[in-house]
Amino acid sequence: MNKIVWLIAAAVLSLSSVALAAPKSIILATTTSTQDSGLLDALVPQFEKESGLQVKTISVGSGQAMKMGEKGEADVLLVHSPDAEKKFMADGSGTTRRLVMHNDFIIVGPAADPAGVRKAGSSIDALKRIAQSGSLFASRGDNSGTHAKEKGLWKGAGITPDGQKWYQQTGLGMGQTLNVAAEKRGYTLTDRATFLALKKNLGLVILSEGDSRLLNIYHVIEINQTRWPMVNAAGGKLFADFMISRKTQDTIGHFGIEKFGAPLFFPDAGKNPASLGL
Amino acid sequence: MQLIIDGILEAVRLLLSGDSEVLAVTWLSIKISGLATLLSLTIGIGAGTALALAEFPGKRLVVAVVNTGMGLPPVVVGLFVTIFLWRNGPFGHFGLLYTPAAMVIAQGIIATPIVTGISLAAIQSLPANLRLQILALGASRFQIIMLLVREARLPLLAAVMAGFGGVISEVGASIMVGGNIKGQTRVLTTATVMETGKGNFDTAIALSIILLFLTFLVNLMLTMVQQKRRAR
Amino acid sequence: MTSPLLEARGLSLQRGGVDVLKNVSLTVQENDVLALIGSNGSGKTSLMLALARLMPVNKGDVLVSGEAINGKNAGLAYRRRLAMVFQEPLLLNGSVAKNVATGLNLRSMPRQELQERVDEALELFGITGLSRRSAHSLSSGEARRVSLARAFAMRPEMIFLDEPFTALDLPLREALFLQLSKLLNSKGITAVIATHDCREVLQLCNRMAVMNKGRLIRSGTPDDVLADPPDDFSAAFARHAKSFNA
Repeated sequence: MNKIVWLIAAAVLSLSSVALAAPKSIILATTTSTQDSGLLDALVPQFEKESGLQVKTISVGSGQAMKMGEKGEADVLLVHSPDAEKKFMADGSGTTRRLVMHNDFIIVGPAADPAGVRKAGSSIDALKRIAQSGSLFASRGDNSGTHAKEKGLWKGAGITPDGQKWYQQTGLGMGQTLNVAAEKRGYTLTDRATFLALKKNLGLVILSEGDSRLLNIYHVIEINQTRWPMVNAAGGKLFADFMISRKTQDTIGHFGIEKFGAPLFFPDAGKNPASLGL
Repeated sequence: MQLIIDGILEAVRLLLSGDSEVLAVTWLSIKISGLATLLSLTIGIGAGTALALAEFPGKRLVVAVVNTGMGLPPVVVGLFVTIFLWRNGPFGHFGLLYTPAAMVIAQGIIATPIVTGISLAAIQSLPANLRLQILALGASRFQIIMLLVREARLPLLAAVMAGFGGVISEVGASIMVGGNIKGQTRVLTTATVMETGKGNFDTAIALSIILLFLTFLVNLMLTMVQQKRRAR
Repeated sequence: MTSPLLEARGLSLQRGGVDVLKNVSLTVQENDVLALIGSNGSGKTSLMLALARLMPVNKGDVLVSGEAINGKNAGLAYRRRLAMVFQEPLLLNGSVAKNVATGLNLRSMPRQELQERVDEALELFGITGLSRRSAHSLSSGEARRVSLARAFAMRPEMIFLDEPFTALDLPLREALFLQLSKLLNSKGITAVIATHDCREVLQLCNRMAVMNKGRLIRSGTPDDVLADPPDDFSAAFARHAKSFNA
């Protein structure tokens, strides 16, 4: 009988230690690409040390991240879906939106390249070739930044891929979508960072790159506290400031060089958006 | 096949080298699921026993609800706990979302109907007059429950194993309410999903093996206790 | 005239439209050993459960030493003055000694005294040698005796026995009869025994009551009742009893 009382007391104590020990925290809603590439693993601990805040990094797609921001369930966003972001800001859900970095998207596929994407003149041309040959294309299908970019490209090509047999929407993150494409020897649109990080296991190659349409731009957005009083606006601002600070921008610029021979992201804080073709 | 072997080797390497991240993830799995199971035992055994002993109109309906709860999809629990705990939800001001506490709550909700249902069946499997006999021996309300629980301890231990096994292997609700945050709410299951998504299959397999081993160990201990009592 | 130790007044219980007990009244004096006879389903067990206040009734009262037992004082304090032994032994996990000590443990009896009572009870029923055995490894006769020892170890004021001799082979019945008769005679316990067994009734009990479909249709000394049996069941009983008369 006594044993049971002790067990329960111990349980209650550990539960409270688990729950109440929480220091002040912020919720960072971001995309899978920043998480999967390992960039956040490099930056977040540094920020936590400097600010004393605990960062809860929730990696979902840009679409879901912005939805969280709209409801005040996050304090700061790090996303890469410019059109949706502009709408987000226009709605008044965010207070400040600042340019952080960019990398680019690439179209990858099997080395055999049945659709002849290698010969394409542009990213739009590449997609046209894929549609014409009916080769399998794996789409994120999850309203992420990548998915938004992909939909924009199909629109530009004048093609509606939805419902076609060769167009498969996974609803998964970038890493898993790449796996699906690799397994089925199909094509997909991916950001360079995630692809480089996962390349060794995939067996896919880069078939189209460099098109200005393929630029992938990341912004950090602070959430509007007046709309949602529970938002930690001060913490969000600290994080946003951190992301554009010179030191962090430097870290971003060097990230990946050691491991992949090339940087995965290019720091852009303070630059004129027009210079990036936005 | 090579991949699986690589995974096993990686698992051994991670454990032996005492990789701090793997250890942290493993220890957090044990803590969270252990606490959730303990919580579910405290509520479930009591509720199951009380339900077994009580007579009231609509009892069969309540039992049906409990039995349905045993098969409750964990991801549904995760969704509703998230809705309750997020900032704009009824319990938002506790700030529990994306914390280990939220995971304990969600896992506890998943395990409690299981423990209740098995306890209910266990007590009902005792001889019908046993409760009367114990009453006639001069037992107080509380003593009756203690004695009946002691009599049914073999199937009740099964309830413990079922409860623990169910929650330590749970992933959907844990990701939703926990957020899989490194160093805070990342456990074996959620880490496995993440590593798979990243394409780190050997790490994913390693984590899976550790999880399997952990579950086996716990069940081995409980089974030995259960079977030892049996063999008299 | 002292008030009876145990008295039932107008006990009635309906369950599922059936009269389990119908307006049952009876008195049991101190040191009485009352036999309850009747066919299966006549209400013998239900009456004992009602008297022990282990089962609630729709109407009627139970009085002990003239004091009504209901509401508050129908609880733990009352239950601890009596003991009941069911047809099935209903033993718990553990050794025989542990089982016999059950009631004493519930009352938090100090170890020394508990041990003495357990030893005494084991001795009374001739099962001292079984003390360490697991309760689940016993034969039905042995289990029955453990159940009885468990009840008597508590030295209750009143004891209710539900068919203590059923399904025992002859030597066991002989032995149990001797043990019970010694106990009931010497210790001055008041007992109510539901039974089908003629010989035991006549030689253990000084009072008899006949149950029929939930009603108590006759009570008195065994000689009185059996001289003029009120129904078929007791008539058959009486015929059987005659053949025992030595």
